[in-house]
This record gives sequence, C-alpha cells and structure tokens, in this order.
Amino acid sequence: MMEMIYGQIGGAVAHFPIFAVISLFLGAFLTALVGKRRALLRRGIVFVSSLVSLVLVILMIPPVMSEGWIITYWMGGWEPVGQWAIGIGLEADALSLFFALIVTAAVFTAALYSFPYMAQDSQPENYYTLYLMLAGSLLGLVLSGDLFNIFVMIEIMTMTAVALTAFRVDYDGALEGAIKYMIVGSIGSSAVLVGIAILYSQLHTLNLAQLALRLPEANSPATAAAFAFLFVGFGSKAFLFPFHPLAADAHAVAPASISMIISGVITKCGVYGIIRLCYVLWQNMSLPAVSTAVTLIGAVSCFICVTMAFNQHNFKRLLAFHSISQIGYVIAAVGLGSFFGLEAGLFHAMNHTIFKGLLFLAAGAVQHAAGTLDLDRLGGLARKMPRTFLLFLIGAAAISGLPPFNGFASKWMIYQSVFEKAEESGNPVFILVLVLCLLSSVLTLASFVKVTQSVFFGPCRPEYAELRDVSAAMRVPMWILATLCVITGLFPGAVRNILLAPAAAAAGNPAAYIDAVFGVGTAAGAHIPEAAKASETLIGCWEPLSWLWLLLTVTCAVCFVMVLGGRPFGRTVQADDAEERRQASEKLFAGLPDPKYESFFSGEKAEFSHVGGSDLFWGFKYSLRRYFSYMRRWHSGNVNDYTRYGIAALAFMLAFAVLCL
Amino acid sequence: MDFLMLAVQILVFPGLLFMTAMGVLLTGLGGKLVARLQNRVGPPVLQPWYDILKCFGKEMIVPEHAGRAVYIGAPVLGFAVLCTAGFFIPMGGRAVFSGTADVIVVLYLLTFCSVMAMAGAASTGSPFAGVGVSREMVAMISYELPFVLILLAVGKLAGSDTGGVTFSLQSIAEWQRIHGPVLFHWSMIPAAIAMLFVISCEAGLHPFDVAEAETEICEGLLAEYSGLPLAFYRLTHCVRLFIMTALFAALFLGGLAAGNDGLAVLLLVAVCIVLTFLCMALPHGICARLRVEQLFRFYWTVVTGLALVSLVLVWFGL
Repeated sequence: MMEMIYGQIGGAVAHFPIFAVISLFLGAFLTALVGKRRALLRRGIVFVSSLVSLVLVILMIPPVMSEGWIITYWMGGWEPVGQWAIGIGLEADALSLFFALIVTAAVFTAALYSFPYMAQDSQPENYYTLYLMLAGSLLGLVLSGDLFNIFVMIEIMTMTAVALTAFRVDYDGALEGAIKYMIVGSIGSSAVLVGIAILYSQLHTLNLAQLALRLPEANSPATAAAFAFLFVGFGSKAFLFPFHPLAADAHAVAPASISMIISGVITKCGVYGIIRLCYVLWQNMSLPAVSTAVTLIGAVSCFICVTMAFNQHNFKRLLAFHSISQIGYVIAAVGLGSFFGLEAGLFHAMNHTIFKGLLFLAAGAVQHAAGTLDLDRLGGLARKMPRTFLLFLIGAAAISGLPPFNGFASKWMIYQSVFEKAEESGNPVFILVLVLCLLSSVLTLASFVKVTQSVFFGPCRPEYAELRDVSAAMRVPMWILATLCVITGLFPGAVRNILLAPAAAAAGNPAAYIDAVFGVGTAAGAHIPEAAKASETLIGCWEPLSWLWLLLTVTCAVCFVMVLGGRPFGRTVQADDAEERRQASEKLFAGLPDPKYESFFSGEKAEFSHVGGSDLFWGFKYSLRRYFSYMRRWHSGNVNDYTRYGIAALAFMLAFAVLCL
Repeated sequence: MDFLMLAVQILVFPGLLFMTAMGVLLTGLGGKLVARLQNRVGPPVLQPWYDILKCFGKEMIVPEHAGRAVYIGAPVLGFAVLCTAGFFIPMGGRAVFSGTADVIVVLYLLTFCSVMAMAGAASTGSPFAGVGVSREMVAMISYELPFVLILLAVGKLAGSDTGGVTFSLQSIAEWQRIHGPVLFHWSMIPAAIAMLFVISCEAGLHPFDVAEAETEICEGLLAEYSGLPLAFYRLTHCVRLFIMTALFAALFLGGLAAGNDGLAVLLLVAVCIVLTFLCMALPHGICARLRVEQLFRFYWTVVTGLALVSLVLVWFGL
C-alpha cells in the first residue's frame, strides 16, 4: 500500500466524482422526458447513464486505491478558506470509492436485469426515473463530503425506495410494506436531521473533514447525543436490529431488481454511514464500550434475523431477513475496531451485495416464471428451470459460507478477526459474538436447504408443467454476479490488496481525510493521529487455490475408481417412462389383486407428495417453540410497534452515548 | 519427487486408501461390537466392505423426479470433500495440509459433506428423502453448537502459551507435544465427553441417526438411492466415522508417541477403535433411537452444557 499523497489531483480525474453522480441524475431526468413510448431510447439512456457512472468510478480506482490520492471537488469553486469549509464538496477517499464501486456495479447489474424483468409492467418511465434517482442518491451519499448533503441524499433515497417498493401496487401488501418503510424510515431520517442540527449548533459546520478535525476536542454531552442520533439514523437505513422487520415487509413486495438494490446497496449506505461516523468523525471505535456495543448490535441482528428467516415461507421475505443477518456480520466485524476486522467487514459487505443480489434476481426469475413466491406452493422447479437453479445454487452456497465461494472467504476473515479481538481484549463478549456468528452460519445454511428443497426439488406441481426457464437476457446479469461470487471467493488475496486494504486504511486514517481538504499538517496541528496502525499481526488470507487443487485431485481419483470399479454412467436406467413403468409393475403384480401396493414396491408414489417449506425443520421449531412464539408476537406487523422499537433504540443509544462517550 | 510424495499421500497414506480402509474397518468392527453387546454373533468385520462392493456392481436407477446431475454428482463430491477434510487432520504426526485456521476449514468441509448428502437426497423428490433432509439439517444444527464450543475450548487451552486462542490443528498438536494431551487436563474432560456425542451425531450413529431411520422413513436420505451412488454414500458414512474419531484424537490425544511415526499411526488406530466402541457400539447397544426434537433438546442442553463447562473453566485458566 502506498503512502497517502496530499494535495489536489490534477486532470480530468478531479471531476470524475461529480460526473459519476450527475450521470445518474441526468439519466433520471432524460428518462422522464422521453415519456411513455420509445422503450428502446429509454433503455439506452438507463444503460448509458449507469454504465458511465460505473466506468467513472472504476477509473478512479487506480489513483485513489493504489496511489493514495483523495479526490476533493468543490461545487462552484467554493474552496475552503482557512479552516472553514462552507461550500458543497465531494470527497472521494478509498472508503467512499469502495462503496461507490458497490453502488454503481449493483445499479448497473440491476438495470440490466430490469429491462426484461419489468417489460410487462405498466408505467416503465416512472420506474426508470425513480430507479436512476435512487441510484444517483446512493452514489451521492457515499461520495458526499458534508453531512447535510448526506441527509439530502438519504431523503431522496428513502422516498424513491418507498415509491419503488410500492411500484407493483397491485401486489398483495405492496402498499402496506411501502407505508411501513416510509414511516419508520422517516424516523431514521429525522434522527439524522436532529443529529445534524445538534452538531451544527455546537460546531457551526457540517463539512465532514472539518467535523473530524474539531469533534475530538469538542467532546460534550451534546455531541454525544448527536452521535447517538446519527448512529440510530444510519442504523435504520441499514435495517439493523430493531429496525429489521421493515426490511422484510419492504423487500418482499418490491420488484426483484429493487429488492436487490434495497438489500444490497441501501443497507450498505447505512454501513458506510456508521463507518464514517465511528472511524472518521468521532474516532471513537477504539473505546471498548463503543466497540463492544456495535459488535453486539451486529451479532444480535445477525442471530435474530436468521432465526426469523427460518420461519418464513415467502421466498423474498426469507431473503430479506437474511440480508439483515448478513449486515449483522458486517457490523459485528466493523465494530471490532481493528484493521483486519474492518477489512473483513468491508469484504463481507461487498460479497453480500454480490450473492444477495444474485439470490434476489433468482427469486425474481422464479416469480417471473411461476407467478408466486410462496415456498409452500412451489416445488420441482429444478427440472423446469435448470439454469436458474444452478445460479441459485451458487448464490445459496455463497451465502451459507460454503467453500470455495466468496461468502466463506469473508466469513473466515470475520471469524479470524473476532478471534483476534477476543484474544487481545480478553473480553468473553467476543467469544459470545463468535458463537452467535458461527451458529447463524449453520442456520443460514438450514434455511437455504429449505428453499432449495421446497422450490427446486420434489415433484413438480401440475400447474408448473408448462413452465419455461427465464430468457437469456435475465440470466446475463445473474451470471455476472455468479462469476463475481466465484472470482472473489477464489482470489480473496487479490481483492484484499486492491480494494479492502486501501479502503480500511482510509477509514482508519482520519488525518489524511482532513489534510486532503485543509492542507498538509492541519490534522497534526489538532493532534489527530497521523495514520491508523496497519495490521501488525497480518493474519494470512484464506487461500483456496491450493485447497481446490487438492479437491480436484481427489475428485478425479474418485471418478477414476468409479469408472474402473463400478459400472459406468452409460448403464443408468432412467425410470421416466410412466407407461412402461406401469406395465412393468402390472406384470410384476399380476397375481396381486390391488394396484395400491405399487407404491410400496416401486418406491415412488404417483400422487403428489411434496414436503413443503413450512413443514421442514419442525423438530427444531418445536423444541424452540417458546422462542418462536415470542418472536412472532414481537414481529407483529404493526407499524406502531415498529415505531416504538425505533424510539426505544434511540432512547437506548442516547443513554449509552451520554454515559459512555 | 515432491509431487510423487504428495500423490502417495493423497492416494495411499493418509489419503483415500487409508481413510477408506479405516472407515470400513471401524464400521465393521462397530457392528461386530454391537452384536457382541447384544449377545449375537454378528456379521463379519468386513461386512460393510462386502455391502459396498456389491452396491458398486448394481444397477443405478435414477428416479423419475430426480435432478440427474445432482443425483449422481452429490455423493461423489460429498465423498471427495470429506476426504479433503481428512487431509487437514494430523495423522501419525503430521497433516498433509495445514493452514492458519484449518479448524474452521474442517468444520465447514464437514458441513459441506452433509449438505451434499442433503442435496442428493432432496434431488430425488421423494417425500421420505424430504423428511430425511429436514432431520439431517436439524441434527446438524444440534451438534454444531456444542462442536463449536468444544473447538473454542480446545483452542483456548492450546493457545494459552501465547495468551490467545488458536484455530490451527498444527499448533494444537504442537501444544500437546509440550504439555501432554488435552484430555489429561481435568477441565477438558466435559468437553471430551461432549465430543463423543458430537461424533455419534455427526457420523449418524445409532441412537442419533434420525435422518436415516430405517423403520420410520425408509432410510430417509438414502431412500431413493441405488447402485454406485449408494455405494458412495455408504463409503462416505464409514469414512466420516473415521475422520471424526481421528479429529477427536487430534484435538484431545495429540502428541502421543511424538517422533515415532509408525507408533503414532498404531496409536491412532487404537484410539479410533476405542472411540468406535464408545460412540457407536455402546450407545447402540443401550438406547433406542431418539426422536428429532429429543435429539435437538439433548444436544442443546446436556452436550452444549458440558462443552460450556469446559470453555468457562479454560477461560478462567483452570
């Protein structure tokens, strides 16, 4: 990793952040102008604007990630004077850029998917306008250099996301989900606004760099309260516990491409906010109280949501709970406050966008083809949609953390970092966190076994007999994500060097962030530590390649034995000819009077008998019935209750912040 | 030459051949011991081997509703993954392969192997298999929690020299070479007992074989399997027993006969046989099969409690 370079980067790169944001917003307005007809032109605009922003972000990677520049951009040339930054600014350091990459890549993929997926819906112009607005606000949020613009972007993000959630308004529960999202989401937004107001009253500035410069010495109960408000605000955008019931209501009814954005990107913006807050602005992640609290919040979200997911029988609701569970992993790792933990958290955040996006798109494909997402009514789709099934399997293996996919690589880093932290601090809470995380991993696996069993395996229902796999246009974005799943899983070391280490270093180095705005030496003058300690105990990265070679050799050897010792594949009997089978059994049971014995001898009953999603795992559910009935009461679906949880979380964080900061 | 050495390690010792032979031997021996406990003569020790060989030669019938690729691929991949897990476990002094956190890798590979069994069973579309899948998964959730706690307890004890926790089987072995086997520390005895139960459930042995209950759900996971894939499942079953007992040996009885590889291997075999008696024959001879929810409750209370006791004791330096 290079040293940070201070000063203004010259050339066109300096303008890339604003162009990347503008490209998306401009696309939104152009889409609205194009109007109802000219579908091709509209798609062209969406494609080009999302592609342009993706390319611009990728072009910023070499200077920012590998050379260590921090790109600052002042709108209208309102540069800071003295130590006051009043103008509107964008500041792209490696951390911002890392999240910008997640945003633009996901937006581009989901846009590709939307073209075929939303083709049948009415009002496509509204959809794409809102979609690009959402995309622009997300990118603006992560690149913004001041808190007020972050708030504005959060507002645009929440409102467009609400509108898109209810876009298929004729779906059962679409409006309900959207309204819940809006109400509880506005509590989060208001919390951010109140936090901003308190900060402004105390420090008279909202520029992030200037706040980072002045906050450490201006510590007072008021700024602690502001921290609590902002933390809860960003936490609600990441749907952390206790905001998680919302996510389920909203994700389940939104179109799949939007679910992918909500779960894969909006939650990441909440994570980004929390990292910015704790590492750069307050620089308080080194306090044991904050670190323990954040990690615990993450672990609890992780565990509660995975048990909630266990009970769902709507495909997308289940995925929604898993999103929050995975975000719980991310927050738990980020909360450790160590360099390696931060890297692990960022890696998992990125991987989550990839595999959860893939799963949501696969769910969308199932919905597109079969018309339902009810796990109790689906079944046997593996033979009808083999390509989607394969893609789903990759995603499911990745989220369950099976090697060699990316979920394993990042979870492995998370376990390592929690371990390291437990070792360093000697705090048994971190062992609890580790156990919760490992247990959640098994439960994640269990619920994906359930999805696989109830959607893709089992006998096919008669109503799906004519079902066709989705078109290639819908599979292409899924293949992009599946390929990324495998690549990031196979080369975690490279991902770490190129993306994670610079981003984590940037988060741990507020001094560079400040100096990029106010000039070299400002931070040192204010006694802000020069750079975070890079990981001294470099824990080796999970290196799957050698392991894979081993597996490959073994598989080859086993296959060799198979061909030598056993009968080759050619002599398989496929008992798929029902008529022939019936005749055969008639011949076999010629002496028996009753054909009802057939099922006992042939092993396959002709009637439909499928173990549905809700019936799996009753042993587990029965043993924990008290816990589950408590949870059911708790997730009442009543927006008043959810509002109360939000307020309670706010009150708790306020008390915590005032007492501990 | 290195390559040749590696090939021998993968294929012969402690690779495929050794693991398979040991697995089959232990399973056969277990069957014989059960029979002796029940005052029967019992099948010959090589009976599982005859069963598997016979399966190899039988016709393979892919059920009507089955996804063909998964049906055939899952058993093979499951077996390969299981053997790969075996390479991380030190046998006779050293492991073929060691990483920084190989305990987690082994944990996940064992999980992967179970997932393959479940995927293959689910792909057949049989309701019996569906119930089997569900039970297998519940069993997995049941033993995973105590298993993790046991690994943490051992890791904490073995990392006590460096003041931390270790996730590496190599350093656990190293620690035992210096301080004597983990089992000889009284605080670890509850964890070792818990591990015995984990072995039983992980290897799908009798009182805990809810997923393959012949009398209730027609062997659940295996209900629709025949021929070659069935042979692989049976083989996987046997090897899993060996790998779990070997893991026990590595975690709790490492460092015996250090320096003398041949003796170490002999000791390993002896330990595995004793463990087979404890985990397979004894419970099989004594108890009837548990119900699913009984199994779950037992593992999350008694077995987890035992593991937790050890973890707490070790955490306080006892």
